[in-house]
Amino acid sequence: MKYFIIVIFLFIVFSLGSAMFYLVKGKGQSQNTVRFLTVRVAISVLLFLFIIFAAYMGWIEPKQPPFLAPN
Amino acid sequence: MSEASKDQYYVPHLAKWPIVGSIGLTVTFLGAIQALNSETSITPWFMFLGIGIILFMMFGWFGEVIKESEEKLYNTQVDTSFRMGMIWFIFSEVMFFGAFFGALFYARTFSVPWLGGEGIGLTTNEALWSGYEGVWPTNGPGDLNGRFEIIDPYHLPLVNTLLLLASSVTITIAHHALRANNRKQTIIWLIATVVLGAIFIFFQAEEYVLAYREFNLKLSSGIYGSTFFMLTGFHGMHVTLGAIMISVITIRVIRGHFRPESHFGFEAVAWYWHFVDVVWLGLFIFVYIL
Repeated sequence: MKYFIIVIFLFIVFSLGSAMFYLVKGKGQSQNTVRFLTVRVAISVLLFLFIIFAAYMGWIEPKQPPFLAPN
Repeated sequence: MSEASKDQYYVPHLAKWPIVGSIGLTVTFLGAIQALNSETSITPWFMFLGIGIILFMMFGWFGEVIKESEEKLYNTQVDTSFRMGMIWFIFSEVMFFGAFFGALFYARTFSVPWLGGEGIGLTTNEALWSGYEGVWPTNGPGDLNGRFEIIDPYHLPLVNTLLLLASSVTITIAHHALRANNRKQTIIWLIATVVLGAIFIFFQAEEYVLAYREFNLKLSSGIYGSTFFMLTGFHGMHVTLGAIMISVITIRVIRGHFRPESHFGFEAVAWYWHFVDVVWLGLFIFVYIL
């Protein structure tokens, strides 16, 4: 589960990086920057919803400092 | 400078702003040093003076660049150098956050387990930190600043993630609206973005108050406290900066700046906001949840 979230996060970073590439290269004419930014927002929202769902289902364990953890 | 080369490149005025910026930075850091080392003066007024000079420099310098841009003094060569400037700025930002995220990963994955006796740390643990488990979250084997609780990710941080994601959606709508030359929609969605960003900063401050007062989670709470406050604190500063930048962009759109085919200033600020949001998503995942 942890790795699934990390992979999706890396894909979000990749979309953001692609948007930057077209921002620098595109000279403002191309639609690619705004397109990649839209993709990255859409995936981020989906990932956020998935994290809430995963926490609700108990797939992600909440962490606590060991001295507070119930024995 | 010959006339021909002036055609290729716009040569700016004799700029006074770099020296103003240098003075501002020097005063800021002298003030910070004074504030950190002084036992009598609590208010770092010298630092605030320096920050004031830097803000004055930014306002004046950026204002001149905007004015020159609107007077059509810039050609494609200048446009290229703005884009190059942006990529170097972002490179430094990525390195900055990379360092702090790197510190978090290194502490969690390597040093804390080693101190707890894992792998090559077995003798270290037995000889020096006997009984220390090395489980994250931790304030280290020295139990710095005593017991603490961590922020529940499904309360304030969840709300903050929602706020920042919503603000990214609104700025994306504004971006599409600007490209469609729908200025009214652009302004409305930009204002919504600034408001959402401001609420985020408010809740972040609330979270810090809660951490300090209720949870005994402080900057001095060992490795967890240090990484937590360094990452979230610097991110908060970036959100503040981004919100100021979007406010400026909003005023520029109201004044009729930017065109659907030419709006680098807008696009760079929008990208920066997306960057700040992705950094937060990283924080939410790696600091709060996992």
